[in-house]
Amino acid sequence: MAAFTESLTRIRSSVEQRFNWNYFLQDNITGSLWLTVWVLFLALVTTFYTIRQLEVAPLSTIIILVAVGVGLVLAVANGLFQYHTRVGEWLRLNLLSSVSNVLLTILLLLLLVAAFRGAWQYAVVNATFDPDLTAPAVRGPADGATWGVLAGARNLLIYGRLERVNIPRVNQAFYLLLTLSAITFAANKTGLWRRNDLLRRILTYIWLASPIILFIFLNGVPYIPGSPLIDVGTLLIGTVVLLAIYGLLFWQRVIKFSVVSLVGAAAAWPIAYLLWRLIGRSPLFPAISPDSWGGLLLTLIVATSVIILSFPIGILLALGRRSQVRGIPNWLTWPIAIGATIYFSFTSTPQLLEDARNGVETVIAFWPLLIIGAAYGLQRSFKGNVVAAAATTFIEVVRGVPLITLLFMGIIMAPFFFQRGTTISNTYAVIAGFTVFSAAYMAELIRGGLQAIPRGQYEAADSLGLNTLQKMRFIVLPQVLRILIPALVGSFIGTFKASSLVSIVGLFDLVGIATAIIGNPEWLGLKKELYYAMAVFYFLVCFAMSAYSRRLEVRLGVGER
Amino acid sequence: MAVNPMAETVIEVRDVHLWYGEFEALKGVNLTVKHGEVIVILGPSGSGKSTFIRAINRLEEHGQGDIVVKGIPLSHDVRNIAEIRREVGMVFQQFNLFPHLTVMENITLAPIHVRKWSREKAEETAMKWLTRVGIPEQAPKYPGQLSGGQQQRVAIARTLTMEPEVLLFDEPTSALDPEMVKEVLDVMADLARTGFTILAVTHEMGFARGVADRIVFMDHGRILEQNEPNEFFENPKDDRLKLFLSQILHH
Repeated sequence: MAAFTESLTRIRSSVEQRFNWNYFLQDNITGSLWLTVWVLFLALVTTFYTIRQLEVAPLSTIIILVAVGVGLVLAVANGLFQYHTRVGEWLRLNLLSSVSNVLLTILLLLLLVAAFRGAWQYAVVNATFDPDLTAPAVRGPADGATWGVLAGARNLLIYGRLERVNIPRVNQAFYLLLTLSAITFAANKTGLWRRNDLLRRILTYIWLASPIILFIFLNGVPYIPGSPLIDVGTLLIGTVVLLAIYGLLFWQRVIKFSVVSLVGAAAAWPIAYLLWRLIGRSPLFPAISPDSWGGLLLTLIVATSVIILSFPIGILLALGRRSQVRGIPNWLTWPIAIGATIYFSFTSTPQLLEDARNGVETVIAFWPLLIIGAAYGLQRSFKGNVVAAAATTFIEVVRGVPLITLLFMGIIMAPFFFQRGTTISNTYAVIAGFTVFSAAYMAELIRGGLQAIPRGQYEAADSLGLNTLQKMRFIVLPQVLRILIPALVGSFIGTFKASSLVSIVGLFDLVGIATAIIGNPEWLGLKKELYYAMAVFYFLVCFAMSAYSRRLEVRLGVGER
Repeated sequence: MAVNPMAETVIEVRDVHLWYGEFEALKGVNLTVKHGEVIVILGPSGSGKSTFIRAINRLEEHGQGDIVVKGIPLSHDVRNIAEIRREVGMVFQQFNLFPHLTVMENITLAPIHVRKWSREKAEETAMKWLTRVGIPEQAPKYPGQLSGGQQQRVAIARTLTMEPEVLLFDEPTSALDPEMVKEVLDVMADLARTGFTILAVTHEMGFARGVADRIVFMDHGRILEQNEPNEFFENPKDDRLKLFLSQILHH
């Protein structure tokens, strides 16, 4: 008995040491008017909601209340009686640290469960999974998902409106890509990539050729019946260009000279060209219209093409904007500008004035004056530096318009870039417009990175005698790209999601194909199922990209000295 | 250390003015540097010392006057600039090593791509100079793994491997802990003794007094006095120099 009283007294004194009713009330309820109001309000809301949930879902509500009760006991034990448990300590400091927090915890847990229950009911309990029972007549209740549409419409979702006969080709292309990736991944993991020079060379060439191979599979090789096997002009131009590139690379010491590589460079174009024409003639890869690409196929093509193409263009734009090229002096610019203005004023303006039907067209007739304005801007803002002026104007104009306008512009303006009569698929025009947009945004990101490198790096490279190309390649870009991994991957993720906008210009990507699917009488009105599935898909891909970027950062030591 | 009066002129600077917008940083600077000379430039901060030697390297662009290095005039012509930069090596206050390359790669990058040497020759020369500055074992490491003094010595080795005619030093020891200052100054003194042409901006008076052939005093963009070390410190003629010396030499 005495021992019991003793321990009681000990407990009481330890509680008194750690607990003070006044402080407790003050901190949690009475401290300020707003605190009291808040706690009362919270108490009311929580009580009412708990009562309501007890009616609707008694079991889970009681479980939550019991759990919070147990948590409270642990927390209080930890705080007042020095009974240490990890859980108790964490709860005392975080979820159950004050009266209002306890109430909030209860309320939020109840809300979470309610939301989850609703989702669970919809997605699992009441849902149907049979792909044959998706028609409105035989569907399940409306409060459950009809997941069958995903399986039933899978061809549309994955390939879009591609003709069925072409689906095997797309699959083959995919498997080829998968195999190549697997080989590369295995080579990397086992260290073969680093050790074996030949393997690395072969794999690199195959990867460099992969866009062409994919193009052949997915687009086919265009063939105009009756055209000659070889067009001499194309043959010669291609060979000369390739040899010029070879010479440039050799001059910049990127590659070493050898008879083998020279012969290879000279023969590469004729051989490739011949192969191309032969494939076109053969029945192997008939043309597929890119406008028939759709669904996941189109999303992947658009997103990857835009990302891969816009990156080097963005680098060039960023470097161009920051370039210190000698500007055109005033005495050269102004005579040319004034001369051009006068010339066009005499040749173009009178005709336009005659044809003008209203005030706006009259003003437009005086467009040669813009040349003077452009010359002034060039000299004043850029000191005659044409490269920087062009890059900056391009970036600022493109950043000033929404992506959709560029997509529309791509479609409308594409015919002007090619000979009369040749049609360019809308898909390619949209990819071009999207690339332009993405390149401008990348350029600004990269320019930020270029500015982040200490000036001393540039100066050290200069004082060692490295020219601009060498400086960029060895010193600047390796450091810039390492710093920019978070920003660049963020840009890629944004591009991947923005690829869904092509549905507005008439292409049926993954998001766009959903409207086509719902239009089908069998899958009428199954919007939610499709969009939920797509949301999950986009989330998984973007999360994977984000996670990989973090791994890349760790591997490259970003953010460390 | 006397310089052979018949030695050829390596750098000639004639009436050079340099403007930063409206501000005139160099107001008519004249200097002649002969082969093998060791010149130290002293002066208060803002006097234009760093601007001056950076102008020789075209890291700053002078507006008026002539700079001629080994007979090559420094002009807007990119080829001239490239040639001059090959003959002039610079060591910076902030080292400016390339952090993503190893020490060996740092040193051999320029010889391979600018002087077009083979990798073997570049690495051989690099090891020779690394040994000369005293840190051959650091070759496979990254700059981030070295101390400040070691980094600066790598920077010196990087410049020397290019086999330049002239070495420019822009306050090479100002960013170093006192213990490491000595190791870098020793390297510089060794180079001076071997006969390199050196133009150094530094605050190390001991180095100036003991190693320099000539000391140049600059203030407000002008060279106010130049003399051999003993005369410079014992019999300063210019008033500004007297004031400067009284401030920094605590006798």
